[in-house]
Amino acid sequence: MATASLVLEDDSTLSKLDLSLLKLERVLALVSGLAVFSLMLLAVFSVSGRNFANAPLPGYVDWIEQAMPLISFMGISYVMREGAHIRMDILVGQLRGRALYLAELITTLAVLLLMVLLVWGTWAHFQRSFDFGAPMWSRDSSMDIALPLWPAKLLAPVAFSVLCLRLCLQIWAYARGVVTGHTVAVPMIADAAKQAQMEADQLKDEG
Amino acid sequence: MEPIEIGLWVTGGLLVLVVLGMRVAFAAGLAGLVGLVWIFWARKDYGFEDLGWAVGIAAKTAGQVPHSKVASQALSLIPTFILIGYLAYHAGLTKALFEAAKKWIAWVPGGLAVSTVFATAGFAAVSGASVATSAVFARIAIPEMLKIGYNKQFAAGVVAAGGTLASLIPPSAILVIYAIIVEQDVGMLLLAGFIPGAFSAFIYAALIIGMALTIKGFGPPVSGFTWKERFLSLPPALPIIFVVVTIICFVYNPFGGDAWGTPTEGGAIGAFVVFLMALYQGMRWPELKESLLETAKLSVMIFTIIWGVLIYVRFLGFADLPGAFSDWITSLTMSPMLILVCILLAYAVLGMFMDAIGMLLLTLPVVHPAIMALNGGADVAAADSAFGMSGPMCAVWFGILVVKMAEFCLITPPIGLNCFVVAGVRDDLTVQDVFKGVTPFFIADGITIALLVAFPSIVLWLPSLA
Amino acid sequence: EEWNVSLWGAPRAFTAHVEKLAELVSEKTDGEFTLNISYGGLSNNRENLDGISIGAFEMAQFCAGYHRDKNPSITVLELPFLGVSSLEQEVELSMAVYNHPATVEDLGRWNAKLLMPSPLPQYNIVGVGDAPSTLADFEGLSVRATGGIGAAMEAVGAVPTSMSATEVRQAMDSGVVKAVSFAPHAHMSFGTIENGTWWTTNLNPGTVNCPVVVNTDAFESLSDAHREALMGSVDEALDHYIANYNGATMEAWGPALKERGIEEVTFADSEIEAFKSVAAAPAAAAWIEQNSAAGLPAQELYDLVTGMIAGDN
Ligand code: NA
Ligand code: NA
Repeated sequence: MATASLVLEDDSTLSKLDLSLLKLERVLALVSGLAVFSLMLLAVFSVSGRNFANAPLPGYVDWIEQAMPLISFMGISYVMREGAHIRMDILVGQLRGRALYLAELITTLAVLLLMVLLVWGTWAHFQRSFDFGAPMWSRDSSMDIALPLWPAKLLAPVAFSVLCLRLCLQIWAYARGVVTGHTVAVPMIADAAKQAQMEADQLKDEG
Repeated sequence: MEPIEIGLWVTGGLLVLVVLGMRVAFAAGLAGLVGLVWIFWARKDYGFEDLGWAVGIAAKTAGQVPHSKVASQALSLIPTFILIGYLAYHAGLTKALFEAAKKWIAWVPGGLAVSTVFATAGFAAVSGASVATSAVFARIAIPEMLKIGYNKQFAAGVVAAGGTLASLIPPSAILVIYAIIVEQDVGMLLLAGFIPGAFSAFIYAALIIGMALTIKGFGPPVSGFTWKERFLSLPPALPIIFVVVTIICFVYNPFGGDAWGTPTEGGAIGAFVVFLMALYQGMRWPELKESLLETAKLSVMIFTIIWGVLIYVRFLGFADLPGAFSDWITSLTMSPMLILVCILLAYAVLGMFMDAIGMLLLTLPVVHPAIMALNGGADVAAADSAFGMSGPMCAVWFGILVVKMAEFCLITPPIGLNCFVVAGVRDDLTVQDVFKGVTPFFIADGITIALLVAFPSIVLWLPSLA
Repeated sequence: EEWNVSLWGAPRAFTAHVEKLAELVSEKTDGEFTLNISYGGLSNNRENLDGISIGAFEMAQFCAGYHRDKNPSITVLELPFLGVSSLEQEVELSMAVYNHPATVEDLGRWNAKLLMPSPLPQYNIVGVGDAPSTLADFEGLSVRATGGIGAAMEAVGAVPTSMSATEVRQAMDSGVVKAVSFAPHAHMSFGTIENGTWWTTNLNPGTVNCPVVVNTDAFESLSDAHREALMGSVDEALDHYIANYNGATMEAWGPALKERGIEEVTFADSEIEAFKSVAAAPAAAAWIEQNSAAGLPAQELYDLVTGMIAGDN
């Protein structure tokens, strides 16, 4: 039940870069998904351990807290590429062509500004928990079984950096749209012809 | 400038960003970050050389939020409950429920839409997330309704509204989040959600039947199923009972004795049972991979909103906007019931602009104590209270009201997550189409909420037995 | 001058000293220096040290056991069975450890200066089901206990589990844990006595250490008058805290147990001694070994604490 993607392709460098980055993004998103799956297995393990062996999984909560950043961050760039972060498109939906690309360019620049600052901020957060001199390089640990927190904290700046790459690519694409009037490698607001095409693709998927 | 004024300006700026089409999570994050810079810079009287310092300290303060807020056990229910939804789709449960509902109920006026409502209510018993429920039913129910001539917008509206039932009928991620924020018994809240959830479904059904009887060219009833066909449609839907019992036993053991674990574990075990069922139904790695990617996509989208909104909430903490609100509410001289109604209306307005979870996270730390105080305090006896119920029961009642409001907001423009998701799944529908189609359900929800406020026993009867 | 102070939860016995400090400082400076207390608005409780470190706020409270690796030096005060007998003694020990150069350096990594402790009495256990009467009855008992207390429970065969205070009630309702270790005020505010059927009066396995810290830069940039107003108010704030805890909170505790018909379990001295001998020494040895490896004068800190307790008795 894949939703058809609304991203156009051609044989430009921009489009090639988009597709290579997409490969990385899909892997990271799958990591998010697998983390959800392991969360489920972890609970099965914990419950059966407690009820059948009277041996609860030590640090069950700590492990959940380690898995959550994997789930929440790794797919962020993939979701941006697919245009699936929600927004209100009542206004932008009315725009077409250059005006649309200009509006998208401005909001994408604003997102990039935020994410660059957050890469800095989350990196600093990671650094405060990391110490080359300490056992397990840890300067911050979980409550129950003292797992080092730096690996989980490192995920945020890593995932956000990939998102920054994606945003740079989108800015390039929208800028091209502003100049030439059409573009590739960014999620489009679908027009009727495209819709029909995707509807057909989807039926193929299910058949 | 006073922090509270900065708070108001930045909140206005956030609304502008959202209306301009910036993705909500990032608009909230940016508003929060800019607000923090403003607050810190104001403390140095806007000295030019201090701007860099203010930006750094704001970025580092905001940079704590994503990890610290998402690394939470309570929130781990959300991806698990989303995963159940997708696995249940592959286990054939969605289809089975819809078929059974169709064969048994579709003969009434507006039959297929009514069937959809009851199928989503049934699915709500294995799904803890409203958006996931809307997403899977958009794929199954909308095409069938279109086939027999339903209005496209209305068909989408039914699915978007039906999805909201998942958050009242247990298991429910949002009820768990409420319980954790206000430190109330999770089991009691999940139990309390059951009747109001079913109640909402009946009100939706009544509304649809009423529309079908009055509007010309509304979708026709679907009849002619034999009793044999009807009974044959039941077995494929039966496994859902098994899953429901598993999840409920983890939350509250109706057979007496201890429950089997925490809600977090119950959700995961439920997902595991559905996973085994899906394997049995022929799900293999390609389908599982697709489910995991979809789960990741929806989870990441929701979590990004959560941390984005929480950066903004962190800024509000520095601006002390919630504190100012609390002081103001408790100084009012109106009757407690009137204040409660005003607060619910305020939620309706706030919910137009905010995501349900973000809204609850933002407001409950302030609003919940105010409501408890209005009722007469946490330990008040029913006889001495303003609303005629004990402190803990008031917390449960208010929880159901607030969650119903939050669900209501999932279908109201401009930011109604369920409508966005339905539009996202169905590429032939714009968000505006779905909002148009869902409008009649505002009335149904308004009636439901009014009845829950007027007759608290609808909410409190079941938990008072436990 | 306005300082932001990051606490969490709701105003309660555990925050009475900070509230009092704010009141005293404002009084002494005629409102020129104010402490603006926020309950949870400025930071997560587990990230209060981070906030101090970046200078987002000037004062904060946290508990050592939330993050051992952030503050290894003060976790010595959370070791099981130290034998602390009063809140006054807890304050005295805490201040001695806080003023030790190794501790000053440890917290200095966070740009933090330790101001005062939030002394808590010894934890004890509220549980459901059959009340234990001997150590052997702890075998297989699932108990919510963190840090040193968890280690002590493990030493007698119990099964310790950690969870945040807010999840405890549900875990108890659902049978995930049969018993919970808390200080009395927390047993009351997190509702464990609503389910519990028994309570241990004298197990006293230890407590947690939750200091109040200030940002060093902010502290040093205070004018002499303001610094004097702050430092000169600490003792009075602590006196107020202790009087309130020993008074209002502990006065409510006994009746709260009686009202609910909770059985009070008192262990024989020989049982307590046996518990100590299996739990205390190994935990201390492990702590010393681990923290010496991390470069802390662990033995010295341990001797400082145990020496002071021995001297008091
Ligand atoms: Na549900
Ligand atoms: Na809305």
